[in-house]
Amino acid sequence: MSESVLVFIALNAILAYSFYAVLVAGQLSLGQAGFAALGGFTAAALAPAPSEVGDLPALLVAVVIGMVVGALAAVVLGLPTMHLRGVFLAIATLGFAEAVRILLINAEWTGGANGMSVTKVVTPVIAWVCLALVAYWFWRQGPSSYGRALAAIREDELAARAMGIDVGRHRLSAFVTAGAVAGLYGVLWAYYVRLLAPEDFDFARAIDGLVMAVVGGSTVWLGPLLGGAFMTSVPEVLRSIGVEAGWIRPFISSALLLVVIIFLPGGLGSLLPRVGARAPADLAEGGEGLAPRSGRALPSPGETVVRVSGGNKDYGGVHAVRDVDLTIASGEVVGLIGPNGAGKTTLVNMISGLVPPSSGTFEVLGTTPGRTAVHKVAQAGVSRTFQHSKLFPRLSALENVLVGAHVVSRPTFLRRLLWLPGARRDESQVVVHAARCLERAGLGDRSREDAGSLSYGDQRRLEIARALAAEPSLLILDEPAAGMNHVEADALSRLIGSLAAEGLTILLIEHNVGMVMRTCDRIVVLNFGEVIAAGTPEEIVNDPAVVEAYLGGDDATPPGTETEEVR
Amino acid sequence: MNTTVKTLALAGSLALILSACGESGDDNASGGGELAGSGSGDSCVIEAPVPVGAALSLTGAAASYGESQRKGLELAAEQLAEQEGVTYELTVEDDATDPRQGITVFEQFAEDQSVIIGPTLSNGAFQAQPIAQEAGVPVVAISNTASGITEQGDYIFRVSLTEAQVIPQTVEISKEEFGLEKVVVMYSNDDAFTESGYDVFASALEEQGVEVLDTLTFSKADTDFRALLTEARAAEPDAIVVSGLIEAAIPLVTQARELGIEVPIIGGNGFNNPQLMSETGDAAEGVVVGAAWNSASEGELNTAFLADFEEKFGHQPDQFAAQAYAGMTVIDHAVRAGCSGEREAIKENLGAVSDVETVLGTLSINADRDAEHPAVVQVVEGGSFTPLN
Repeated sequence: MSESVLVFIALNAILAYSFYAVLVAGQLSLGQAGFAALGGFTAAALAPAPSEVGDLPALLVAVVIGMVVGALAAVVLGLPTMHLRGVFLAIATLGFAEAVRILLINAEWTGGANGMSVTKVVTPVIAWVCLALVAYWFWRQGPSSYGRALAAIREDELAARAMGIDVGRHRLSAFVTAGAVAGLYGVLWAYYVRLLAPEDFDFARAIDGLVMAVVGGSTVWLGPLLGGAFMTSVPEVLRSIGVEAGWIRPFISSALLLVVIIFLPGGLGSLLPRVGARAPADLAEGGEGLAPRSGRALPSPGETVVRVSGGNKDYGGVHAVRDVDLTIASGEVVGLIGPNGAGKTTLVNMISGLVPPSSGTFEVLGTTPGRTAVHKVAQAGVSRTFQHSKLFPRLSALENVLVGAHVVSRPTFLRRLLWLPGARRDESQVVVHAARCLERAGLGDRSREDAGSLSYGDQRRLEIARALAAEPSLLILDEPAAGMNHVEADALSRLIGSLAAEGLTILLIEHNVGMVMRTCDRIVVLNFGEVIAAGTPEEIVNDPAVVEAYLGGDDATPPGTETEEVR
Repeated sequence: MNTTVKTLALAGSLALILSACGESGDDNASGGGELAGSGSGDSCVIEAPVPVGAALSLTGAAASYGESQRKGLELAAEQLAEQEGVTYELTVEDDATDPRQGITVFEQFAEDQSVIIGPTLSNGAFQAQPIAQEAGVPVVAISNTASGITEQGDYIFRVSLTEAQVIPQTVEISKEEFGLEKVVVMYSNDDAFTESGYDVFASALEEQGVEVLDTLTFSKADTDFRALLTEARAAEPDAIVVSGLIEAAIPLVTQARELGIEVPIIGGNGFNNPQLMSETGDAAEGVVVGAAWNSASEGELNTAFLADFEEKFGHQPDQFAAQAYAGMTVIDHAVRAGCSGEREAIKENLGAVSDVETVLGTLSINADRDAEHPAVVQVVEGGSFTPLN
């Protein structure tokens, strides 16, 4: 293989990694060509000439300049665009890259369209060392708590927020990583091709990088390397087997690309065996894992955990929740029932901070949901499941629970980069903790399966395990028994009972009235957004307003009947 | 997907990468003494075919130029093969208008070719030609017009005139012919070729004392020039000077005439293309083009070239084809002069090329390894280029 092919495989793979850096967090950015151009041109203009200080020192200075400039550009672009998602982010970043290219073409110091002459310094060894460092970074990032948080954001941003992950900060840091890696690419490119021209950082280059990252596999850390090697070697192979130069080659390359994407939707990386977190065989080991990891003591029994007064939520003219007053004390198990559309989920969404109230005062564990960010509410000790499962489908069951443990695990990425022993210990402790949560929810034998492939009932239980992993003070369960048969529902009841016995405060929305009656200390009934009754299960069963609401509502089953399942 | 298919796919991609590793190194055509022949000039006989590699942009942004060049080279190689003594093994490779491909192709050519032609664009030349310089393989640039190309090293030659050789003549002759006093200059500033063309236009206009009323820039991707042309018209120039590629020239010339601009439009090498007349029709009348090749030249070589090209490919050649053809003529001359297809000999004899008859006219290589031959200033009259000087 010729020298240039080796170098371009490495360079292309580095470019692909700059896309991988954001794709792992579910962001589609096309701004990398702009970061690379800024990094490359600034470094080439500012770094000392290799003839003065020697090749390697000059390149090192240039690399530092390029990566810093790329990262800074990512911050500048990231701050105003981080609230954009999907194709909108792609278009905004694409606009940025084009603006950079036009700027560089029209600037004096870049030499305009004629470009800037740069000494060739990069050798295959240098290129591959840089690639190895970049790949190493992402290899260590993947299974760290930071890497899992990014994966969680990619899979389901809302659920990631509810698990206490600061989505904005994580997305921005992924973006900055992409900027720094792209800046590295720009510098290496400049110091290899001799002539640095703005046209080499155009839209097509951005698409190249994206395609290589996706073909290689955008969720496997080796993927960009495979993608870069594949896309670089295809033209070489076509040349060496004697395919005539001309249109036929790009045609074959494109066809091959199509074949790969159709038959390997996960990219070439999906051919590699997947190494995921593995649950320890014997959970009894490392017994200290049983102790609370958060260092956050449960509120003392009787202390107020949730206080809602005059809570309102209007959607246009629809009053989803009207003047609700609700107080939950520590250690209580409170049931929230009511016909479909009564506003139960809206109420718990406001309590967990996902939906800001239209008016009213919300206080939960010392935070003010609606004004406090969702992840801060979660960090204060609120953990929840969702009415419609919001798991991270492409992560394994164990990994889902590990994300749940985000708020109670220590960041390990930087220590993993340096192979510090503490990182491994922390990781194995949190894995033991997660495996116990899975075990407790009855999913001990499912830990390596993808969440998306679990049965519906198992998915509900996995959500509970994930919520438990956060060691919450307040656990909100939104219809956890939906879709379960009565054996499973009974097991769930027992689990809730045992959690309550440990002093956990639980807010339970459930249509399975039998289960609510058995497990709850207190029941609140909502109808048309208003509290129509509150009290012990016995009081509720006999409340005429409740009977009326249920008989008058769509859900014509009054509470207290001995049906196990209403839905 | 089951395991077998996965394994197959993995094995397939591995094989792909491995075969990329395994290529090269086995067919070293320049080895052995066969490339050194006996005799000299027309009587020179070289046993082995002389390997000539051409790295052209056959696909990508510059594909239209590369394609013309390929045709010119193929015609030349075919005709040279009919002569006694020396044959050429022409390998045309595609750089896809991408520096990555350009560099890789040059690296491969540096291993097994005696002389390299190309690449098509000047920016690509700065990226790829140093590889040949380092490997000691002579390069003949057939379309690079930027300054500094041959300064890259003593193995880099070119047969294409630089803008600095063509444009001052164009300005001078146009000034005489049309009595130019004030002009508007337009150029696309996102293309290396047109931008350096503009630089030369600007200094030539200044030298000739022609006032520049306004300088307007556009993008090489633009197709609507009405706003700029209206602005230019308002300045009431004696002529409009344009540094642009043929893709811009066609709509620009058409729209200028639509807007009632009847003053001469003066263009550079980019305009020297038969498409200018075929695509714009009457609008092209009065367009002045300074160029390295006079398509209307009555010279024997040129007439034969036009006819042979038309016969082989079914259309008229453009300047890129003519320069490519001339490049092979010059290489053949250098090879025969030393009667050797070896790199060093070709390099020495390329430097000594003097008064060689080519389709571009009588061509010499000067001490800077740049070509010197008459430039032509043409004006479109009655649907074809007519020399203005």
